[in-house]
Amino acid sequence: MGWYNKRLAKSIWVFHMSGSPCNNCDIEILDLLTPRYDLERLGIKLVGSIRHADVLLVTGIFNQKVAPKLKRIYEQAPKPIFVVAIGTCPASGCCFKDSYNAVAKREDILPIDLYIPGCPPKPEAMIEGVAKLVEVLNG
Amino acid sequence: MAKMDQFFAEMGGLIGKTIRKPKRIYFDVDKNNLTQVVEYLFNRMHCRLSTATATETYHNLEVLYHFSHDASGDYYCPRVLITDKQKPAIPSITPIVRGAEWIEREMFDFWGIEFIGHPNLIRLLARDHPQGLDKPLRFRRDK
Amino acid sequence: MNKNQIPVGPFHPLLEEAEYFNITVEGETVTDIEMDIGWMHRGHEFISEQKTFTQSIFLVERICGICSTSHPIACVHAIEDIDNVEIPLRARYIRTLVAELERIHSHLLWLGLAGHFIGYDTLWMWAWKYREPILQMFEIISGNRNHYGMMRVGGVARDVDVDKIAALSKILDQVDEKMEMIAKAANDDPVLKSRLQGVGILKHQDAVNFCAVGPTARASGVKIDVRKDEPTDAYDLVDFKVIVLKNGDVYDKTVVRLLEIFESSKIIRQCMKKLRTANGPILNSVKEIPPGEGIGRYEAPRGEVFHYMRSDGSNRPIRHKVRAPSFNNIPTYIASCKGIPLADALITLAAVDPCYCCTERAIRINHSAEGAQPIDLLRLSREKTERIRRTIHGA
Repeated sequence: MGWYNKRLAKSIWVFHMSGSPCNNCDIEILDLLTPRYDLERLGIKLVGSIRHADVLLVTGIFNQKVAPKLKRIYEQAPKPIFVVAIGTCPASGCCFKDSYNAVAKREDILPIDLYIPGCPPKPEAMIEGVAKLVEVLNG
Repeated sequence: MAKMDQFFAEMGGLIGKTIRKPKRIYFDVDKNNLTQVVEYLFNRMHCRLSTATATETYHNLEVLYHFSHDASGDYYCPRVLITDKQKPAIPSITPIVRGAEWIEREMFDFWGIEFIGHPNLIRLLARDHPQGLDKPLRFRRDK
Repeated sequence: MNKNQIPVGPFHPLLEEAEYFNITVEGETVTDIEMDIGWMHRGHEFISEQKTFTQSIFLVERICGICSTSHPIACVHAIEDIDNVEIPLRARYIRTLVAELERIHSHLLWLGLAGHFIGYDTLWMWAWKYREPILQMFEIISGNRNHYGMMRVGGVARDVDVDKIAALSKILDQVDEKMEMIAKAANDDPVLKSRLQGVGILKHQDAVNFCAVGPTARASGVKIDVRKDEPTDAYDLVDFKVIVLKNGDVYDKTVVRLLEIFESSKIIRQCMKKLRTANGPILNSVKEIPPGEGIGRYEAPRGEVFHYMRSDGSNRPIRHKVRAPSFNNIPTYIASCKGIPLADALITLAAVDPCYCCTERAIRINHSAEGAQPIDLLRLSREKTERIRRTIHGA
C-alpha cells in the first residue's frame, strides 16, 4: 500500500472519538484547530464522520460500556485507517487502571498505531506525533 | 442561627442523634419520618438539595442527604440508616424534590437501594450495560 | 400529528464527549427528551477510597479537564473540614488566583463552542484565540497548561513569586482588552440577540425544583453563589459582585458568563496586588486526619462542586462522594427543552455548559431506534441563524 499511504500523507483527515477521557485531551485536540496552532494549514482537518477519516484519534481509558461502540466505529471506518492514541490514559490507564469499569486490554478493542503520552500532551507534542505519522506514511 | 433553632424546635421530635459542627449539622432520621423532615427542609426552609451519599458500613447501609441553606451557608444532613443489607429500601423524596430523581437513580445503580415511590427507578450509569450486570456497580469488586 | 424519535449519539459530530439523547418531536416541536449516560463512568469514588488523601487530590483533578482546579479545591476543603485546618494567607490568595483564572478559561471555552453551534465560527476562533494567553498564564504558574497540581491539604504546592506576578499582570492586561472587544461584539450583534433571546427558557420555579446551580440558576434569578454564601479561601477578602439575571433564556446565560469573566479578572487583580506584599508560608503541614466527616464545596465555572469525605483515622478516606455541577444542571433539559423548535434544541442543550466527564465521573446507541431518521442538528441550528441574519440585514 506504499503508493496509497504517500497520497494519504498529503492531507490527513481525522475523526475524534472519546472513550471515557477526562475531556482534557479532547479540548487540546480542538485547540490544535484554533488560531494559535492552526493545524489546518498543514492539511489536517477534523471531520464529522468516520467514513471520511484517514486517522482516528482516541482518548481515555475505554470503559466497558463504551468499548463495544468504539469497536463498531472502528469497523465502520474505510481501511487503511491509523489509530492514534492521545494521552496517558490509552497508553497506561493513568490513575484509572484499578477501576472496576475499565476494560482490561485496550489492544483488543482497537489496534493502536501511535501513542502520544502526556496528561494532557502539549499541542506541540501532538503536532510532532502527527509529523512522525506522516514520516512513516511517506516510507 | 435563628433558622437552625427554629428547625430543632419544630422538628426535634423526629430527629435522633445530632452532631453539630460550625456550619454543618448531621442528624439521624428514621426512614418513616424522612419525607416529613425533607418536606420541611425543602418547602418551608427553602433549602436546596445538594446531593445524597450512600455509604456501606460494617452492618448497615446509610443514606446521608445534604441540604444546603444558601442564605446562611449552613448544611443540614439527615442520615437514614438501613439495617436490611440484603433488600435495602427507603421512601423516595423525588415527589417532593424534583431534582432528586437522578441522585436516587445513581444510588440505586451503585448500591442497589430501592426507593419506594420513585417515578422512574432504572439504572442511571449502567443502563444497557453490555455485560448485563446483575449486581449493583459498587459490589462488582467481589467477583 | 405523528411523533418521531430522533436518536443523537453517543458519537455525534456536535458532541465533544460520548452521550446519548433521545429527542421526541411532533412536527418541529420537541415534546420530550431522554438521556442515557454512563459512557464516561470511570469509578472515581471507588478508586479514591483505595488511595491516600494526597493521592485523592491527584485523582479528583482528573475527573474533568476543564474544572481541574475546582474539584481539587472542593476536595481539600472537605478534608480540611474534618479537622478545621487553618490555611496560610498567602496560600488562600494563590488558590483564589488559580481558580478564577480557570473560570475565565472555562467561560471563554463555552462561549466559543456556543458560537460554533449557532454557526458563528468567528466567535469560536476569537474566544479560543484569546483563551490561549490564559493557558499561558497557567503554564507560568504551574508548568502545565491543564491539570495544574496546585492544591494540597493545608495550602498550595507551588508559590507564585513576584517575577511571575509581573509577567502575569502584563498578559492579563492584554486579555482584558480583547475580552471587552468580544463582549461588545457579542452584545451589539442583532443577529446573535434575536437568535438567543427567548430560547430555551428555564423558569425560576423549575430552577429551584431541579436544584440547578451556577450560571444556569443565576440566569433564572436564583441568587446562589458558593463564593458569597460560604466564603472560603480569599473570597471574603476580595470585592466582587454576583451576577443574577431573571429571564433564564440562552441569552441571559451567555450574558451571565460574559459578565462573570470581568468579575473574575477583577478578583485576579486584587489577588495579585495582595500577593506582592503578603509574604509567609504557603503550606501548613497536616500530619494526620482524625476520624470524622467533612463537606467541601466550591463554586466551579458551572456551579457548585460538592465533595464529601469520611475518615476513620487511617490515611485513606473510607467514603468519598463527588457531585459535579452538571449532574444537577443536565436534568433541567426536561424543563427547558419542552415546546421549543428542534433547531433551538442544540443551543439549549449546550447552554448549561454540560460536562459529562464530571457528571459520570462516571451515555448508548439505541438499537431499537432503527428506521428513525438521523437529522443533522448542527445544520438545522446554523440554517436558522442564517435565516435570521437574512431577515435582519435584508439580504
